[in-house]
Amino acid sequence: METQKVAIRPALSQAGNTRTASRALMDNWWKQLGEADAAAQPVANTFVMGSLAEVLNTFDIPMSFPEIAALQTAVKGKAMDYLLAAEDLGYSPDICGYVKVDIGLHATGRDHPLGKYPKPGMVVASNMCNTYIKWAEVWERQYGCPVFVLDLPGWRGTGFEYDSSSETFRNDVKYVEGQIRDLISLSAEVSGKKFDIDKLREILGNVNRMSELYQSILAMNKNKPAPFNALTEGINYMGIANILRGLPEGVEFMETVLAELEERVAHGVGALTDERYRLLLVGTACYTNFRDFVGMFERWDGVFVASEYMSYAGGGIDRGLHYDLSRPIESLAEQILITSQPSMSGIFFSHEWQAKMAEEYDVDGICYHGVKSCRTTAAGLPDAREWLLNNAGVPGLFIQSDLVDSRLWAEAQMRNRIDAFFESLQSRRVQSGV
Amino acid sequence: MLVAGVDVGSTQTKAVIITGEHEILGRGLCSTGAKLADAGETAFNLALEQTEFAEPDVAFVVGTGYGRFNIDFGDAQVTEISCHARGAVHLFPGTRSVLDIGGQDTKAIKVTADGQVVDFNMNDKCAAGTGRFLGAASDALEIPLGELGPLALAAKNPVKMTTTCTVFAESEILGWMAKGRRIEDVVMGVHNSIASRSVSLLRRVGIEPEITFTGGVTRNTAMVELISELVGSRVNTNEESHYCGAIGAALYALDQVLTGAGTERGLPT
Ligand code: SF4
Repeated sequence: METQKVAIRPALSQAGNTRTASRALMDNWWKQLGEADAAAQPVANTFVMGSLAEVLNTFDIPMSFPEIAALQTAVKGKAMDYLLAAEDLGYSPDICGYVKVDIGLHATGRDHPLGKYPKPGMVVASNMCNTYIKWAEVWERQYGCPVFVLDLPGWRGTGFEYDSSSETFRNDVKYVEGQIRDLISLSAEVSGKKFDIDKLREILGNVNRMSELYQSILAMNKNKPAPFNALTEGINYMGIANILRGLPEGVEFMETVLAELEERVAHGVGALTDERYRLLLVGTACYTNFRDFVGMFERWDGVFVASEYMSYAGGGIDRGLHYDLSRPIESLAEQILITSQPSMSGIFFSHEWQAKMAEEYDVDGICYHGVKSCRTTAAGLPDAREWLLNNAGVPGLFIQSDLVDSRLWAEAQMRNRIDAFFESLQSRRVQSGV
Repeated sequence: MLVAGVDVGSTQTKAVIITGEHEILGRGLCSTGAKLADAGETAFNLALEQTEFAEPDVAFVVGTGYGRFNIDFGDAQVTEISCHARGAVHLFPGTRSVLDIGGQDTKAIKVTADGQVVDFNMNDKCAAGTGRFLGAASDALEIPLGELGPLALAAKNPVKMTTTCTVFAESEILGWMAKGRRIEDVVMGVHNSIASRSVSLLRRVGIEPEITFTGGVTRNTAMVELISELVGSRVNTNEESHYCGAIGAALYALDQVLTGAGTERGLPT
């Protein structure tokens, strides 16, 4: 039997705080969703990209994140049941796995492995992924709930960053601000509460603080060894950042994470006992075989020091998002516009971000994981990989499976490609005499 | 001093035994079948029989291929990507690009002058464009694999295969036959389909001469012709190309012995 290495480390006073907190917060989130559902209180279905949690939380509308719920079914080994239930209804194997898990959950009594999966009382979607809109339409038909779709102007030909002084930008801000005002009216109607601009201000202030902390958390991994694995621990930070966006508990959680990581760094404790390869993950993990997936990298002492999903699924908090509290709604519109651009235009410009990250985090290689049922995140990955190798000298590995569909996981092929990649990293290292 | 490389592929298992001076003393080849460990041992023993030595004389064995972790007499494992790269540069020192059409994987590899992998690209995880596609044609037409290449060379008007799926290939092949197309034209259509998919993988890593073609499909003359035509220059192959992965594995085994690296990290035991 293969046994695991035990890390001999100094005793750390903060050890485990993040893990305990994130479990408790996640459990509580599920509990609240269950209670809301039982009390027929309207719950908003929203998405990690463009959640508009700032507005929903102003009205105390509980938020359900079907993407997070779907990946949790995969981690719990239950996704296949729901995928098959959706396919029985006629949904094709090619459709986004998250959608099908959700459809399957609704079709089988809404019993999620972590709690009651609520009925949507309203939906907040955006055009950051086309699937969001179609998915929202399914709920609209199924439950007759109101659907709000935030229409964000996309590519403006300037890469990731908008020129915020341009006339185009000012017009876009007006366009988005108008839509946010519509959402405010809808939220007031659904919740039966009046809009309180000071409460919005408070929430925006909390997001500002979360963003500062989150940036410091990410930057911790510039240290060697990297104190956390952006793939395994990162997914938990990301989950809480979404479900508690703008809430005091969210701020507190980020403080807990940062304190734990600072202590690890101060004691030279890394995510791996013996960090040998520093990697950037582009795409997401394969949640059905999460441990196996991670193990294939850890076997080579490879740690993910950064990951793209910790950026695009974070609603801009990785980018120093800062709301101007003196003009909350306009500022919310501005920041959404600016921070959504990487996702809106990612296919054309993601290589620039990757090159920057590779340099800042001193990575040895990039793992591009193409998700079969998600073209939104998978398109363009082979091109970015080649660009990075040829223009920045950063080698990349391209692998494919799925977020939640275990039928798309082929262990031998996956392992073969990963092993071959590490062998080539190893020979590079030998040649460069490092 | 002797070392061995054993390549347990998805369809065939190959083994070579080489000396410290790189001379190949024995080669073994057998079908892989369901028992991967047995296949590795059979091929290794066949190779050993061609030498005048016994198992204890073999200082180090490196396993490669899909079944590499099943070779229980092996000392270390290296992927076939690294092994084909190493073997190809050994066989043809001018090699900078390697194409291996395997049973379920096709690999395009860019290599350095000393056989290290710079970059590689592989088929998606389905078997489209791999050796299995030829297997499907052989099954559907009931023609032994070894006869497909010469037959294809007689084609005058090859069909255009549209499916990339190996399972659907059989029915498409039968469909063409039912339409009255000549068997050599159908077989050449199958070859064209594999060759173009393989060369497009090679293009993605960047074709740099010399190009060395490795693996069992190198014995198929039509495929060697087609690939050469598509890349615009004659690809390297010789009678050892079939054993290229095993040769690369044996060279890694030799490194281990010569450098005393033993079970150095990166070649996990
Ligand atoms: S981004 Fe991908 S995984 Fe997420 S909803 Fe869209 S298609 Fe599905």
